[in-house]
Amino acid sequence: MEPIKEVALERTYEAPLESVWQAWTDPAKLKQWWGPDNVTIPTCEVDLKVGGKFYIVMEAGEAMGPYKGTLWPMQAEFTVVEPNAKLAYKANAWTEGAREDFSIDQTTEVVFAEEGGKTKVTVKASIYKLGPKAGMAAEGMQAGFTQQLEKLSAFLAK
Amino acid sequence: MVEYKGKLDTIFGSLSDPTRRDIVKRLAHQELTVSEVAKPYARRMSLAAVSKHLQVLERSGVITKRRVGKQQIVALSPPALKDASKYLEQYKKLWEERLDRLEKFLKNK
Repeated sequence: MEPIKEVALERTYEAPLESVWQAWTDPAKLKQWWGPDNVTIPTCEVDLKVGGKFYIVMEAGEAMGPYKGTLWPMQAEFTVVEPNAKLAYKANAWTEGAREDFSIDQTTEVVFAEEGGKTKVTVKASIYKLGPKAGMAAEGMQAGFTQQLEKLSAFLAK
Repeated sequence: MVEYKGKLDTIFGSLSDPTRRDIVKRLAHQELTVSEVAKPYARRMSLAAVSKHLQVLERSGVITKRRVGKQQIVALSPPALKDASKYLEQYKKLWEERLDRLEKFLKNK
Protein backbone atom coordinates (compact mmCIF):
# COMPACT_ATOMS: atom_id res chain seq x y z
CA MET A 1 0.00 0.00 0.00
CA GLU A 2 1.25 3.45 -0.95
CA PRO A 3 1.42 6.07 1.81
CA ILE A 4 -0.70 9.18 1.27
CA LYS A 5 2.17 11.31 2.49
CA GLU A 6 5.76 11.01 3.63
CA VAL A 7 7.90 13.24 5.78
CA ALA A 8 11.66 12.77 5.85
CA LEU A 9 14.06 14.39 8.29
CA GLU A 10 17.74 14.06 9.03
CA ARG A 11 19.77 15.15 12.05
CA THR A 12 23.32 14.66 13.19
CA TYR A 13 23.90 14.41 16.91
CA GLU A 14 27.10 14.98 18.87
CA ALA A 15 26.72 11.69 20.66
CA PRO A 16 27.90 8.11 20.21
CA LEU A 17 25.75 5.79 18.14
CA GLU A 18 25.03 3.53 21.12
CA SER A 19 23.63 6.44 23.20
CA VAL A 20 21.33 7.53 20.39
CA TRP A 21 20.10 3.97 19.91
CA GLN A 22 19.48 3.73 23.68
CA ALA A 23 17.56 7.02 23.64
CA TRP A 24 15.25 5.58 20.98
CA THR A 25 14.72 2.17 22.53
CA ASP A 26 14.88 2.49 26.34
CA PRO A 27 11.41 3.46 27.67
CA ALA A 28 12.86 5.43 30.61
CA LYS A 29 14.89 7.51 28.15
CA LEU A 30 12.12 7.81 25.54
CA LYS A 31 9.89 9.33 28.22
CA GLN A 32 12.37 12.15 28.68
CA TRP A 33 12.51 13.40 25.10
CA TRP A 34 9.73 11.92 22.96
CA GLY A 35 7.54 14.97 23.56
CA PRO A 36 6.96 16.99 21.37
CA ASP A 37 7.12 20.29 23.29
CA ASN A 38 4.39 20.93 25.86
CA VAL A 39 3.63 17.23 26.09
CA THR A 40 4.60 14.70 28.75
CA ILE A 41 4.85 10.94 28.45
CA PRO A 42 3.01 9.17 31.28
CA THR A 43 3.31 5.71 29.71
CA CYS A 44 5.92 4.07 27.51
CA GLU A 45 6.35 0.34 26.88
CA VAL A 46 8.90 -1.18 24.55
CA ASP A 47 9.24 -4.83 23.61
CA LEU A 48 12.28 -4.50 21.41
CA LYS A 49 12.00 -7.25 18.81
CA VAL A 50 10.36 -7.69 15.43
CA GLY A 51 6.64 -8.14 16.12
CA GLY A 52 7.12 -6.67 19.62
CA LYS A 53 4.87 -3.88 20.87
CA PHE A 54 5.77 -0.22 21.23
CA TYR A 55 3.16 1.68 23.22
CA ILE A 56 3.60 5.32 24.11
CA VAL A 57 1.10 7.85 25.44
CA MET A 58 1.50 11.59 25.05
CA GLU A 59 -0.33 13.88 27.46
CA ALA A 60 -0.99 17.53 26.66
CA GLY A 61 0.60 19.82 29.22
CA GLU A 62 -0.31 23.25 30.62
CA ALA A 63 0.75 25.20 27.53
CA MET A 64 -1.75 23.31 25.37
CA GLY A 65 -4.51 25.35 27.03
CA PRO A 66 -7.92 23.80 26.40
CA TYR A 67 -6.24 20.55 25.32
CA LYS A 68 -4.47 20.14 28.67
CA GLY A 69 -4.80 16.57 29.90
CA THR A 70 -5.71 15.21 26.47
CA LEU A 71 -4.13 11.81 25.89
CA TRP A 72 -2.68 10.80 22.52
CA PRO A 73 -1.73 7.12 22.64
CA MET A 74 0.22 5.35 19.94
CA GLN A 75 0.10 1.59 19.60
CA ALA A 76 2.86 0.27 17.39
CA GLU A 77 4.53 -2.94 16.35
CA PHE A 78 8.20 -3.13 15.44
CA THR A 79 8.86 -4.31 11.89
CA VAL A 80 12.64 -3.84 11.91
CA VAL A 81 14.98 -4.01 14.91
CA GLU A 82 18.65 -3.91 13.93
CA PRO A 83 20.60 -2.71 16.98
CA ASN A 84 22.58 0.48 16.35
CA ALA A 85 21.48 0.50 12.72
CA LYS A 86 17.77 0.55 12.00
CA LEU A 87 14.41 0.68 13.72
CA ALA A 88 11.00 0.63 12.06
CA TYR A 89 7.45 0.30 13.31
CA LYS A 90 3.90 0.52 12.06
CA ALA A 91 1.53 2.38 14.29
CA ASN A 92 -1.93 3.61 14.96
CA ALA A 93 -2.07 6.85 16.93
CA TRP A 94 -5.25 8.46 18.16
CA THR A 95 -6.89 10.93 20.51
CA GLU A 96 -8.18 9.16 23.62
CA GLY A 97 -11.98 9.00 23.60
CA ALA A 98 -12.26 9.59 19.85
CA ARG A 99 -10.25 6.85 18.23
CA GLU A 100 -12.53 6.51 15.18
CA ASP A 101 -12.44 10.17 14.26
CA PHE A 102 -8.89 11.15 15.08
CA SER A 103 -6.77 8.15 14.30
CA ILE A 104 -3.67 8.10 12.11
CA ASP A 105 -2.12 4.99 10.58
CA GLN A 106 1.54 5.54 10.01
CA THR A 107 4.89 3.88 9.68
CA THR A 108 8.19 5.23 10.93
CA GLU A 109 11.62 4.18 9.84
CA VAL A 110 14.70 5.37 11.72
CA VAL A 111 18.20 4.78 10.38
CA PHE A 112 21.22 5.30 12.63
CA ALA A 113 24.72 5.80 11.24
CA GLU A 114 28.03 6.70 12.79
CA GLU A 115 29.84 9.56 11.12
CA GLY A 116 33.18 10.58 12.58
CA GLY A 117 32.15 10.11 16.20
CA LYS A 118 28.78 11.75 15.60
CA THR A 119 25.53 9.99 14.88
CA LYS A 120 23.34 10.67 11.90
CA VAL A 121 19.66 9.89 12.35
CA THR A 122 17.33 9.71 9.37
CA VAL A 123 13.61 9.52 10.03
CA LYS A 124 11.03 8.66 7.42
CA ALA A 125 7.47 8.98 8.67
CA SER A 126 4.67 7.91 6.34
CA ILE A 127 0.96 8.50 6.78
CA TYR A 128 -1.34 5.83 5.36
CA LYS A 129 -4.74 6.70 6.72
CA LEU A 130 -6.33 9.56 8.60
CA GLY A 131 -9.55 9.63 10.58
CA PRO A 132 -12.19 12.04 9.24
CA LYS A 133 -11.54 14.65 11.93
CA ALA A 134 -7.76 14.43 11.98
CA GLY A 135 -7.65 17.88 10.45
CA MET A 136 -9.23 19.33 13.56
CA ALA A 137 -6.51 17.73 15.60
CA ALA A 138 -4.05 19.62 13.43
CA GLU A 139 -5.91 22.80 14.34
CA GLY A 140 -5.51 21.83 17.97
CA MET A 141 -1.78 21.43 17.57
CA GLN A 142 -1.78 24.83 15.95
CA ALA A 143 -3.58 26.26 18.99
CA GLY A 144 -0.97 24.73 21.28
CA PHE A 145 1.77 26.15 19.15
CA THR A 146 0.30 29.65 19.10
CA GLN A 147 0.08 29.63 22.87
CA GLN A 148 3.62 28.50 23.09
CA LEU A 149 4.72 31.44 20.95
CA GLU A 150 2.69 33.78 23.11
CA LYS A 151 4.37 32.36 26.19
CA LEU A 152 7.74 32.89 24.59
CA SER A 153 7.06 36.48 23.64
CA ALA A 154 5.71 37.18 27.15
CA PHE A 155 8.89 35.75 28.57
CA LEU A 156 11.08 37.78 26.25
CA ALA A 157 9.19 40.96 27.15
CA LYS A 158 10.06 40.60 30.85
CA MET B 1 -24.66 13.50 -2.74
CA VAL B 2 -22.67 12.23 0.18
CA GLU B 3 -20.82 15.01 1.96
CA TYR B 4 -17.11 14.33 1.64
CA LYS B 5 -15.81 17.82 1.23
CA GLY B 6 -12.95 19.12 3.29
CA LYS B 7 -12.11 15.91 5.12
CA LEU B 8 -8.39 15.37 5.22
CA ASP B 9 -8.44 11.65 4.65
CA THR B 10 -10.49 12.06 1.49
CA ILE B 11 -8.33 15.00 0.39
CA PHE B 12 -5.13 12.97 0.78
CA GLY B 13 -6.85 9.91 -0.65
CA SER B 14 -7.87 11.85 -3.74
CA LEU B 15 -4.26 13.01 -4.15
CA SER B 16 -2.81 9.52 -3.82
CA ASP B 17 -3.18 8.81 -7.54
CA PRO B 18 -0.46 10.06 -9.93
CA THR B 19 -2.91 11.16 -12.65
CA ARG B 20 -4.93 13.14 -10.15
CA ARG B 21 -1.79 14.73 -8.73
CA ASP B 22 -0.81 15.68 -12.26
CA ILE B 23 -4.21 17.24 -12.88
CA VAL B 24 -3.88 19.28 -9.67
CA LYS B 25 -0.40 20.42 -10.69
CA ARG B 26 -1.68 21.62 -14.06
CA LEU B 27 -4.63 23.38 -12.46
CA ALA B 28 -2.25 25.25 -10.17
CA HIS B 29 -1.33 27.42 -13.15
CA GLN B 30 -4.75 28.00 -14.66
CA GLU B 31 -8.34 26.87 -14.85
CA LEU B 32 -9.04 24.35 -17.59
CA THR B 33 -12.06 22.95 -19.37
CA VAL B 34 -12.73 19.24 -18.89
CA SER B 35 -11.53 18.49 -22.41
CA GLU B 36 -8.34 20.48 -21.85
CA VAL B 37 -7.74 18.50 -18.69
CA ALA B 38 -8.20 15.26 -20.61
CA LYS B 39 -6.08 16.15 -23.63
CA PRO B 40 -2.57 15.12 -22.45
CA TYR B 41 -3.90 11.75 -21.30
CA ALA B 42 -5.84 11.00 -24.52
CA ARG B 43 -3.42 8.29 -25.66
CA ARG B 44 -3.80 6.17 -22.58
CA MET B 45 -7.08 7.15 -21.01
CA SER B 46 -10.67 7.62 -22.08
CA LEU B 47 -12.52 10.85 -21.41
CA ALA B 48 -14.76 8.86 -19.07
CA ALA B 49 -11.74 7.76 -17.05
CA VAL B 50 -10.53 11.36 -16.76
CA SER B 51 -14.03 12.45 -15.73
CA LYS B 52 -13.93 9.85 -13.00
CA HIS B 53 -10.64 11.24 -11.68
CA LEU B 54 -12.16 14.72 -11.72
CA GLN B 55 -15.16 13.42 -9.82
CA VAL B 56 -12.91 12.03 -7.07
CA LEU B 57 -11.11 15.36 -6.81
CA GLU B 58 -14.40 17.25 -6.75
CA ARG B 59 -15.82 15.04 -3.99
CA SER B 60 -12.79 15.58 -1.79
CA GLY B 61 -13.16 19.32 -2.27
CA VAL B 62 -9.81 19.74 -4.05
CA ILE B 63 -11.40 21.07 -7.24
CA THR B 64 -14.62 22.72 -8.24
CA LYS B 65 -16.44 22.47 -11.56
CA ARG B 66 -18.69 25.11 -13.00
CA ARG B 67 -20.59 25.27 -16.24
CA VAL B 68 -20.00 28.16 -18.61
CA GLY B 69 -22.18 27.79 -21.68
CA LYS B 70 -21.48 24.36 -23.09
CA GLN B 71 -18.19 23.98 -21.29
CA GLN B 72 -17.30 22.75 -17.86
CA ILE B 73 -14.51 24.71 -16.23
CA VAL B 74 -12.36 23.00 -13.65
CA ALA B 75 -10.55 25.00 -10.96
CA LEU B 76 -8.58 24.27 -7.82
CA SER B 77 -10.24 24.97 -4.51
CA PRO B 78 -7.62 26.50 -2.21
CA PRO B 79 -9.22 25.76 1.21
CA ALA B 80 -8.95 21.98 0.83
CA LEU B 81 -5.33 22.20 -0.25
CA LYS B 82 -4.59 24.61 2.56
CA ASP B 83 -6.05 22.22 5.12
CA ALA B 84 -3.96 19.41 3.70
CA SER B 85 -0.72 21.37 3.68
CA LYS B 86 -1.38 22.74 7.17
CA TYR B 87 -1.83 19.22 8.47
CA LEU B 88 1.44 18.11 6.94
CA GLU B 89 3.23 21.16 8.31
CA GLN B 90 2.02 20.22 11.78
CA TYR B 91 3.03 16.61 11.30
CA LYS B 92 6.48 17.63 10.18
CA LYS B 93 6.78 20.14 13.00
CA LEU B 94 5.98 17.44 15.54
CA TRP B 95 8.88 15.38 14.23
CA GLU B 96 11.20 18.38 14.16
CA GLU B 97 10.41 19.24 17.77
CA ARG B 98 10.91 15.61 18.70
CA LEU B 99 14.35 15.46 17.09
CA ASP B 100 15.32 18.80 18.68
CA ARG B 101 14.35 17.39 22.04
CA LEU B 102 16.44 14.31 21.42
CA GLU B 103 19.40 16.61 20.85
CA LYS B 104 18.82 18.35 24.19
CA PHE B 105 18.40 15.01 25.90
CA LEU B 106 21.67 13.69 24.49
CA LYS B 107 23.50 16.86 25.54
CA ASN B 108 22.23 16.85 29.11
CA LYS B 109 23.15 13.30 29.88
